[in-house]
Amino acid sequence: MGDERVIALDSVNLDIFKGEVVCLLGVSGSGKSTFLNMMAGLEKPTKGEVLIGGVAVHTLTEEQVTLFRQKNIGFIFQAYHLLPMLTALENVSLPLIFQGVSKHKRELNAKKMLEIVGLKGYEKRRPSRMSGGQQQRVGIARAIVGNPKIIFADEPTGNLDSHTSQDVLDLIIHMVREKRQTLIIVTHDREIAKFADKVVTLQDGNIVHIKTKEEYNQHENA
Amino acid sequence: MSNLDLIIMSFRNLLRRRTRSILAIIGVVVGSSSIIVMLSLGFGLSANFQQQIESYGNLHIIDVMGGGGYGGPVAMTSSKDGGMGGASSLDDLTVAQIAKIDGVETTSPVIQEYLKLIIGKYVSSSNVMGIENKMLEKLGYELQSGRALTADDKYALLFGNQIPPTFYNPKKTLYSSWGGAAQVDVLTDKIILTGDMAYGEKNVPQEPGVAIDYKMYKAKGVGILSNPNDESAYNVYMNIDTLKIIKADLKKARKETATGKQTYDLVKVYVSDIKKVEKVSQAIRDMGFQTSSLNDWLKSMQDTAKMMQGILGGIGAISLLVAALGITNTMIMSIYERTKEIGIMKVIGANLPDIKNLFLLEAGLIGFIGGVFGIIFSFIISLLMNTVLKGIMDTVLGGMGGSGSTISLIPWWLVLASLGFSTSIGIIAGYYPARRAMRMSALESLRNE
Ligand SMILES: Nc1ncnc2c1ncn2[C@@H]1O[C@H](COP(=O)(O)OP(=O)(O)OP(=O)(O)O)[C@@H](O)[C@H]1O
Ligand SMILES: [Mg+2]
Repeated sequence: MGDERVIALDSVNLDIFKGEVVCLLGVSGSGKSTFLNMMAGLEKPTKGEVLIGGVAVHTLTEEQVTLFRQKNIGFIFQAYHLLPMLTALENVSLPLIFQGVSKHKRELNAKKMLEIVGLKGYEKRRPSRMSGGQQQRVGIARAIVGNPKIIFADEPTGNLDSHTSQDVLDLIIHMVREKRQTLIIVTHDREIAKFADKVVTLQDGNIVHIKTKEEYNQHENA
Repeated sequence: MSNLDLIIMSFRNLLRRRTRSILAIIGVVVGSSSIIVMLSLGFGLSANFQQQIESYGNLHIIDVMGGGGYGGPVAMTSSKDGGMGGASSLDDLTVAQIAKIDGVETTSPVIQEYLKLIIGKYVSSSNVMGIENKMLEKLGYELQSGRALTADDKYALLFGNQIPPTFYNPKKTLYSSWGGAAQVDVLTDKIILTGDMAYGEKNVPQEPGVAIDYKMYKAKGVGILSNPNDESAYNVYMNIDTLKIIKADLKKARKETATGKQTYDLVKVYVSDIKKVEKVSQAIRDMGFQTSSLNDWLKSMQDTAKMMQGILGGIGAISLLVAALGITNTMIMSIYERTKEIGIMKVIGANLPDIKNLFLLEAGLIGFIGGVFGIIFSFIISLLMNTVLKGIMDTVLGGMGGSGSTISLIPWWLVLASLGFSTSIGIIAGYYPARRAMRMSALESLRNE
């Protein structure tokens, strides 16, 4: 199983600027997740480099890269990945705990965050007693609470119905824009692409085209 | 991540898997309490030995004998050059030399003479010991009745506990017998001392032509000692200078040639620090004398106790080792179960050392909590042993004094040591799983279901 060589990404070359919202599109298996994880330093390229703000992420040790992520990167997962034994408030506080923020301060921040994502009053709820959309909101609050410079989201609406998807996406875009954060988002949903500054389409591990928002919308409308 | 947060999080993780945590903790409780209880048996044994030996006499005292064949009331000759045979005799010079040895507080020469004590029709043959008063005080014998000797006493006698019953009427019975009720009151009746061992006896063959004219000395009893077990019980004590005179008279009467130089049968040495007794004994032996002290016994008995303790403690240690494996197993299981969680924590910014510490702490907590309950459990077991089990043993042994006051003894330092030990065991047992959790790839862990 492990012996078979899979070329998940071949020749990808992409510049992302600060504050940009970048959307990765492509059919299943085209390499979107692999690309995203590589940019976030979760996976190392066998060849090539990943530079974030001048830092060569691919050369960092496991320990350095975790610290780098703690300071600069927020993550939103398709399957939410909340910790089941923690309450909503505690889940949102978690990144701050790891950063060593004091209990008082982190609870204040986390509370505010929950309020922003529309979950005021849900502080003490555990994930098992929340809907998918609510869980993903907690996930978003958790990704943003530490004020990271870049947010990675891998199909954040993949497990949600279309109506909830729209709400959640609006929330993400709204928050990112407000704080001028960089967002890299993987999705199958072509609607989302309309909000993006850049739409990158992958196919068999290659970038087939990069379009600006204007180009993409023109193409869609045509 | 702050230390407090680490502790809280570890604790919550333990609570989450309550049954499993409790089982792992019980393992540690059993392990640590078996070590404590086993060791406590050794300490109890050792304390009993000391108590028992102290009831035989005084641990501060060294008896010094000449190179030759004298064996004291408690005959334990420990001399490497015991075969030299009378090469060195105990005189005033020797006493002065011994007094100078570091650790020696008081010395006293001792002479003894087997004398006949006469009260009316009753007689007793007893070992009379002449000893200096200051040493008699140090020996710390307790009185049953009467008073102790004073420096002014001359023909005053202090009786060992077992002496009064030995007075018998030679006209009626042939021998004296130990034990039983005394037929005389040594404190009020007039006592006469003599060296004539044949006094009052009926069928003593007289050696022809050698009629010895023994002196009679008027004496009075002043006190009776209380301990029926130690060496004092079978002695009569009196002023050493008075006994010297009696001895000199006897020699003259028996027409023995006086050597001129005063020698002693025994020198008693008092060492205030019990730990120095061994060293002082060695120094005296190096001078060419033989020594005996209860300490020699105590040491060999305590060595035995230590050895037993080692064996018992080893048995206890094995169960703690099993408990350690239990902790490792619990932690590995927990890591398998929480693989995904570890992945999430890593991705959202947990430092790798935090992950490691989280698991180390959890394992350490199992050890610590197990240690605390192990101590409580040990004290309960120890209490039961000292009450219920001791009661049973005393009944079975029928009050023969076979068991001491305590069977199990837990010193306070053992409590601290065992707590530290079980916590360390937990941390060591958790080290491998913790490192494994730290090294798992974040992405792989996330994919784990
Ligand atoms: N752990 C892995 N080991 C080996 N090959 C993998 C692994 N994960 C993904 N791949 C392969 O890498 C290629 C890209 O996968 P990737 O997960 O990046 O696709 P994707 O675009 O995210 O698909 P989807 O939309 O279904 O999530 C695929 O051909 C896949 O088979
Ligand atoms: Mg994917």
